[in-house]
Amino acid sequence: MNPTILRLSTQALFGRRRGVLLLLIPALLVVLAVVVRLVAGAGSGYDAVIGLGFTLALPIVALLAASAVLGPEIDDGSIVYLLAKPVSRHAVAQSKYAAAWVATMSLGAVPLLVCGLVLDAGDARRALAWTLGAAVAGTAYTALFLGLAALTRHAVVIGLVFALLWEGLLGQVLAGVKWVAIGPWGEAVAAAVSPRVDGSGIGAGYALVAAAVVTAATLWFAGDRLRSFTLRGDE
Amino acid sequence: MTDPTSATPVGRSVIHDLGYRPYTGPRLGEGPIARALVLTGFRNAFGLGRSGKSKVLPFILLALNVLPAVIIAGVMALTGAKELPIGYAQYASTTQVLLGIFVAAQAPVLFSRDLRHGTIALYLARPLRAGTYALARWTSLLMATLVFLLIPIVIMWAAALLVELDVSDQTTNAGKALLLAVLLATGLTGIAGLIASWSTRRGFAVVATIAVLLIGNGIVTAVQGIASEQGAVSVGEWAGLFSPYSLYRGLAFVLGDGREPLAPPTGGAMQTAYLVVFLGISLACVAALLWRYRKVAER
Amino acid sequence: MSTITLETVSRWYGNVVAVNGISMTVGPGITGLLGPNGAGKTTLIAMMAGFLAPSAGSATLEGRQIWRNTDVYRSIGLVPEREVSFGYLTGRQFVRANAELHGLADPGAATERALTVVEMVDPAERRIGTYSKGMRQRVKLASALVHDPGVLLLDEPFNGVDPRQRLHLMSLLRRMGAEGRTVLFSSHILEEVEQVARQIEVVVSGRHAASGDFGQIRRLMTDRPVQYVVVSDDDRNLASALITEPSVVAVSLRRGGGLDVAVSDFGAFAHRLPRLARDRGVRILELVPTDESLESVFAYLVGA
Repeated sequence: MNPTILRLSTQALFGRRRGVLLLLIPALLVVLAVVVRLVAGAGSGYDAVIGLGFTLALPIVALLAASAVLGPEIDDGSIVYLLAKPVSRHAVAQSKYAAAWVATMSLGAVPLLVCGLVLDAGDARRALAWTLGAAVAGTAYTALFLGLAALTRHAVVIGLVFALLWEGLLGQVLAGVKWVAIGPWGEAVAAAVSPRVDGSGIGAGYALVAAAVVTAATLWFAGDRLRSFTLRGDE
Repeated sequence: MTDPTSATPVGRSVIHDLGYRPYTGPRLGEGPIARALVLTGFRNAFGLGRSGKSKVLPFILLALNVLPAVIIAGVMALTGAKELPIGYAQYASTTQVLLGIFVAAQAPVLFSRDLRHGTIALYLARPLRAGTYALARWTSLLMATLVFLLIPIVIMWAAALLVELDVSDQTTNAGKALLLAVLLATGLTGIAGLIASWSTRRGFAVVATIAVLLIGNGIVTAVQGIASEQGAVSVGEWAGLFSPYSLYRGLAFVLGDGREPLAPPTGGAMQTAYLVVFLGISLACVAALLWRYRKVAER
Repeated sequence: MSTITLETVSRWYGNVVAVNGISMTVGPGITGLLGPNGAGKTTLIAMMAGFLAPSAGSATLEGRQIWRNTDVYRSIGLVPEREVSFGYLTGRQFVRANAELHGLADPGAATERALTVVEMVDPAERRIGTYSKGMRQRVKLASALVHDPGVLLLDEPFNGVDPRQRLHLMSLLRRMGAEGRTVLFSSHILEEVEQVARQIEVVVSGRHAASGDFGQIRRLMTDRPVQYVVVSDDDRNLASALITEPSVVAVSLRRGGGLDVAVSDFGAFAHRLPRLARDRGVRILELVPTDESLESVFAYLVGA
């Protein structure tokens, strides 16, 4: 873990346009929750808003964060300044992951807590459940998208397709997808914490282990890809 | 240019005419340039005329989008159904994710690339105004999106006719769906094009467009769901104005095609409002695009 | 000390061979890596910098392999061709970040030292996004110098830099070379290389064409006669004398005075010319070699 890279990555994260969108998404979510609460009273619309935040906003925030810390630098080759140093490539990957992880947690998971409490102040446990589930899912999402960003220049599009098609469309159609999709893992963790959350039917233990495995594996992969980074001339 | 056998006057330079000439014949004007640009852009949106890898995503998405229509056609032929299992306009609603990804992923190909690498300067060095360029690009994306939307409609319509369902019935429904598809396409194209021309990094433009389209739609759906739970119907109707997809669904229901959405627009005023807003979004985006490119051209 | 050794290094991409069996040793002092575009210069530098693995052969620094060896970066400073795109950082922050990444004991002092060497102390507070091209090159150089490396690798450092800054960069590089560092820079602009480095490595189409001092390389090209321009007060007289010399291959009269002389054995020619001139009573006013420049050497090597 390298503090300099951590600092640089955090600065890269909140560069103008990307930072605007990163902050806008959770802000919109919270505003929505507030509006719903005011209009419809406590307790209603919970699943709709939280569902939106969990299945759509969280992966998008994770994708934005992961592709912000690694994508542009690989794209124009300036990552070479970070790699031409006696710093282990895995440390580089981990530091970048840490910066993206903090962003995902604070802008993807914490807003769910806020929304949950706004919508139903009485059931803090349920809000916490969703937050923990989002934390687990967000950790895995960020690692996965970081690995993608280290692999290909089209990481963002592929990541989006994964999140939307695999977990979204296919996940609704094929029941077996839930075992190998990150969203359902998060839901399983949330279900274990609060009985009011419908889990996806898989155990929380499996979900935690699966998320940990995916995180560790893709993070290692990202570091390994960085070790083999090649400096190209004018292509 | 002088005869090569004549002597060079002392102290002066000449070029002798050996047949080297610039082209002085008639040149095509702005119209044909714009036409060519529209055509190339349309092909580029599907990766034709570019590298092999750029064809993968659009064609996969297109195939996935058309697949259900083909399956429906096959099923109808085999089971002799009496009506289409899914309405023409309803189809686009169901596959909206695919369409969203397509528009989000291909808009940067048409808009961001030239701005990112500065080749826009080459285009504008021709007798091509910035506004015309922007419109040409927008038209290319619109055509590509329409292909996306219209192929399934055509397939289902042909299948319906072949199974000998009522011709006029099917044709009117298909026609309505066509109109709605045009509206949806212009709206989505406008939004995606605007975002892509604003953010020059491809990856970021894609995420931003998807975020706007899908999260916007998600928010609207959530609000509508809650509103209908609470019985606050008009809130739901007003919420439907904020996403192209909900506008599409609302208008589709009004025209009699498709399942009832969560908060359909009732009453002539609301329905007209839906139509107006739909058109308004498209026009506003196009205007913003023109403005943006004029600003870029000044630099 | 700090010598990079390439031993029969090759690099291919599928069917395309970018670098073909090149062996070279780059030692202390300035070396210019020359070659036409697409000759493989960037590939070579990437292999020396550990960002590309040789498909065959080895690239070592003092015997240590460079590829996949992050420790070796303590001794190497790399100035890549690509733009530094940390536009949101100021010059000082960027150099300082590099210093910290090297694990230097006092990054602040090292940063100031590096900035002073490249004379970027004043603009260091501004963001890199506001710098001109020459300033960016200097900041890149500062970031490569901050850890006082023994080896400096620069890929086309003068690309797009305005003349004044170019002179500055050149004197910097000469100073680095004089300090005993190993400086290797690539270029395809001969005037730049000529002014900075006498030691050159020429790469043509992925093959090592020549290596060494370019004056000596010229003399090694014995199959090509050396061209001289001789200006005297009696050209035709001298010409008739020269044509009898066995070391002279061709003599031609130049328009506007003087002789173009092609010489196959310039040692003998240098010995005989004054005697000939004295015997014939011709006074020699000018004697200029016309193809000993790097440009001619390069043209011969590339054209061959």
